[in-house]
Amino acid sequence: MTRVEIGQAVRRQEDFRFLTGRGRYIDDIDMEGQARGVVLRSSHAHAVINSIDVADALEAPGVLLIVTGRDWIAEGFGPMPTKSGVRKNRDGSELHEPPRHCFAIDRVRYVGEPVAFVVAETEAAAIEARDLIVVDYDELPAVVDGVAALKPGAPRIWDDIPANLCLDFELGDERAVDAAFGKAAHVVTLDLVNNRVTAVPIEPRGCVASYDPETETFTLYNATQNVHANAATFAENVLKIDKDRLHHIAPDVGGGFGAKNSAYPESPMALYAARKLNRPVKWINSRIESFLSDTHGRGQTSRVQLALDGDGRFLALRTETVGGIGAYCWTVGPFTPTAGSARTQGGPYDFPAIYYRGRAVFTNTAPMDPYRGAGRPEATFQIERIIEFAARKLGFDPVELRRKNLMPPDMLPHTTPMGLNVDCGDFPRVFERTLGLADQAGLAERAGSARRRGRRFGFAVAPYLECTGGGPREYAGVGFRAGGAISLSVGSQSTGMGHETSMAQLLAARLGVDFERIEYHQGDTEKTPIGGGHGGSRGLEIGGNAVAQAADEVIGKAKAVAAHLLQSRTDDVAFAAGVFRGSGASVSMAEVIEASFDPKLLPGNLSPGCLDTGATFERGEVSVPNGCHAAAVEVDPETGFVEVVGYWVVDDFGTIINPLLADGQVMGGIAQGIGQALSEEIVYDEDSGQLITASLMDYGLPRADGVPNMVIEYYQGAPTAKNPLGVKGAGEAGCVGSLPAVVNAVLDALKDDGVRHIDMPLTPEKVWRAIADPNAGGPVDLMGDVL
Amino acid sequence: MYDFTYHRPSSLDEAASLLAGAEDGQFIAGGQTLLPTLKQRLARVTDVIDLGGIGELSGIAVLGSRIEVGATTRHADVAASADVRNAIAALAELADSIGDPQVRNQGTIGGSLANNDPAADYPAAVLGLNATVHTNSREIAADDFFTGMFETALDAGEIITKVSFPLPEKAGYAKFPNPASRYAIVGVMVAATGSGVRVAVTGAGPCVFRARDIEGALAADFSASALDGVTVSADKLNSDLHASAEYRAHLVMVMAKRAVAAAG
Ligand SMILES: Cc1cc2nc3c(=O)[nH]c(=O)nc-3n(C[C@H](O)[C@H](O)[C@H](O)COP(=O)(O)OP(=O)(O)OC[C@H]3O[C@@H](n4cnc5c(N)ncnc54)[C@H](O)[C@@H]3O)c2cc1C
Repeated sequence: MTRVEIGQAVRRQEDFRFLTGRGRYIDDIDMEGQARGVVLRSSHAHAVINSIDVADALEAPGVLLIVTGRDWIAEGFGPMPTKSGVRKNRDGSELHEPPRHCFAIDRVRYVGEPVAFVVAETEAAAIEARDLIVVDYDELPAVVDGVAALKPGAPRIWDDIPANLCLDFELGDERAVDAAFGKAAHVVTLDLVNNRVTAVPIEPRGCVASYDPETETFTLYNATQNVHANAATFAENVLKIDKDRLHHIAPDVGGGFGAKNSAYPESPMALYAARKLNRPVKWINSRIESFLSDTHGRGQTSRVQLALDGDGRFLALRTETVGGIGAYCWTVGPFTPTAGSARTQGGPYDFPAIYYRGRAVFTNTAPMDPYRGAGRPEATFQIERIIEFAARKLGFDPVELRRKNLMPPDMLPHTTPMGLNVDCGDFPRVFERTLGLADQAGLAERAGSARRRGRRFGFAVAPYLECTGGGPREYAGVGFRAGGAISLSVGSQSTGMGHETSMAQLLAARLGVDFERIEYHQGDTEKTPIGGGHGGSRGLEIGGNAVAQAADEVIGKAKAVAAHLLQSRTDDVAFAAGVFRGSGASVSMAEVIEASFDPKLLPGNLSPGCLDTGATFERGEVSVPNGCHAAAVEVDPETGFVEVVGYWVVDDFGTIINPLLADGQVMGGIAQGIGQALSEEIVYDEDSGQLITASLMDYGLPRADGVPNMVIEYYQGAPTAKNPLGVKGAGEAGCVGSLPAVVNAVLDALKDDGVRHIDMPLTPEKVWRAIADPNAGGPVDLMGDVL
Repeated sequence: MYDFTYHRPSSLDEAASLLAGAEDGQFIAGGQTLLPTLKQRLARVTDVIDLGGIGELSGIAVLGSRIEVGATTRHADVAASADVRNAIAALAELADSIGDPQVRNQGTIGGSLANNDPAADYPAAVLGLNATVHTNSREIAADDFFTGMFETALDAGEIITKVSFPLPEKAGYAKFPNPASRYAIVGVMVAATGSGVRVAVTGAGPCVFRARDIEGALAADFSASALDGVTVSADKLNSDLHASAEYRAHLVMVMAKRAVAAAG
């Protein structure tokens, strides 16, 4: 039995289960009598469906049901709405939201879009039958890139939506920015691409649906990040049933990173088939289909402009972004390139004026939705790249230029021109500490040694500032059982990050009970009345505060029991470290909990079960995690190969509940950032709209040998007052700071070659070409035609 | 995957007759190429004949002036073999550079050669080291074995039994891996052998090939600096998502120099 504290590096409870094959992931779930479903997906990026002939497929052995778009509409099912936080164009009009049905209806708009759902006795039989469906398509011209989709003459994805424009958003004072640009000593402009990537969770998506005709209720096991919101979409919007008739459960989920956030079409398909066939239906995505049908992230093209005075002080920032969002508005698709990328423009720097314009544009590609950071990595990349670029161009030292413009601590709290309340932090201190760590690691020596080995050496520092997001309310329920077990049910959700440990740690520490007594529950619409799931680094910030609040309510109730046991007045009882003290005597929380089951030991107004508590926490304002990354790289000039050889981070996540878990978040985020910076890219063929990187043989995920050891520290001097725990959210920050740290380090290595820009991913060939011809990587005008 | 009948013969003859009797049969060794193809329904076979049960096909033997590697010997076993490392270190290193641990624990040299993927590593070893491919009916010289993209001199139903590598005076292998798959974008094996200098290039073109200009330069002077100024033409090289022909042509020279340096 162990006592744990807040801030302690408690080891992950769930790892034994996960590492010994005892996790219960979606494909581990099989139900009596289940049938298997597979999806027939569009093989064209854009085409009219003339007909779908399922006659032969229906005759195939074991086939139970085939559903197409027409069948779906005939059933009266509805489309899935976007939950984008912004819906208004800058001229005040409403965004364009074409209906997003579970199937393509008479026209396909991306490779991989569902055309039919085939259910059979076995998966093999379903696949066999799928091959027998004959779809007659008339191909249409396709456009896969956001900027290209905006250009005059581009193919129209929706006949009634001009210029493929979904949402045209702006934020900030454009006139103030114009004025600042007008009087600036220097204006620097850089067009850049934030490459399209996908999360590739180790567990593909899947679900198992069943229906009980007696109670007319559905049960859906689903590899999802968001049981509550998606249950509502499936039930109310699609199937048009009461949401209480859908019990939605996420078992162990093997990674999400945003890609399991959305309401995906396959779940309603399986639900419908389960009801129709009156037997459970299971569907598991293949890896190739995951590339085709999972939501993608980033994929933005931007023009970034920075105005500086003669001394290098920042006067204004202007960013104009185009983000291709796929053919439909997914759950939050239109939000990311617009408001999602606007909020943290300017980063931790003191900017008098900022203007942001972002356009979400329809394209013939898989949908865009959040990917770890969803807009904040993009914003950080924009500001850090333009600073580095400006420094090189104007002859400032890049470290000095940053130092000069960081918001000083006495400036805080400060509301940025983007309306973000930066309440606390010490950016210069975190910055200097990061540089100090890199220095201690012998940066100068490493550089010399690299050069002696014929390699270029580069270093860059990247301060970042981001903000949390996701659903603002969260529930935590605490239940006590005789014998000592304590159940903790939380509406936020771990997809591998370790809530089973950190949330239990919080509760155990707060109550002063043994950690092992806590049984953790999550991802179940019947276990918590509400739940925001996973996203926006909200786990501890909202879920954790709900747990703390529930714990405090438990303590309040337990105090009354303790007072009764100690024969003191409640007001005279004090609680600390798991012990209630009255005048002289004391009783432990564990004893109080045990007593709470014995009516004889309870005061008259209380009965057994009286300590059970459910609490809802509501976030006021998003918190502002911040910190600083630094990366050292070596470049092999003969091959262009980049190796990240050193990595240092100082993060300000406010209060650290469990440094081990925080480290895991930071490392994982940085690994994803290194992947995006150097090798990951979703590539569609420009003409055919086919996905070229549809497997792990072509999509360059980072591997262990490409990820360096990292030195990670936390600055805990500025816990936020925006929530009681003082936490700032840690889940996405690793991804936010790492893109510019890695890219700028490579460009630093190539500065003497005259290279000023290369768009991500910095593949060996691109780097080699840039060394041979410094202008090969750009910058080039990417946005001129659409501004 | 389409349905098929699985067989596990224990002798070469049985394997050969099973294949002869099958409507559309395929041997399987490590399954690292065949299984993904079947799973994606890119191939349809009636019978899969597993060579793994034929004991004589597996193992490594050092025989004076040559080393013999059985067809079903796993990449991991070649990589870990002290005999291979002592005799031809470059061969052990090449095996160790293949794919990832799972692939190396399953994939076999015979499967790799029979498949002759343009980006596979072993073809460079066989061609560069002037090995002989033994089958259940004959011996095929390396120069005759690789006939084109995914094509070899093997007849239908012919089984590779072992590969015999003559010990070189020195040899080195250098590979620039594809960041995603770890196959070779370019791999170069250089060897000084009894029959002269041989340089085999994989990954760069549609099929492994000997780089005669590089061989010529190294025959005169087996040193990396002898290759300064030597180039290969990008004309017939591959261009894809990961590397253009021009970049591959450049990498051939870089890898050739590194291979010479590694050969010592
Ligand atoms: C993720 C991944 C990464 C890889 N990376 C690399 C790499 O970096 N470098 C590299 O070289 N390779 C790589 N490979 C290929 C792998 O190393 C195997 O060598 C290759 O797949 C074939 O060997 P196998 O034993 O698996 O053959 P199988 O898949 O079993 O068979 C392949 C073909 O060879 C035939 N065959 C097999 N054995 C014989 C025999 N004895 N006689 C006649 N025909 C035979 C089969 O009929 C079949 O047609 C990779 C594979 C994967 C899946």
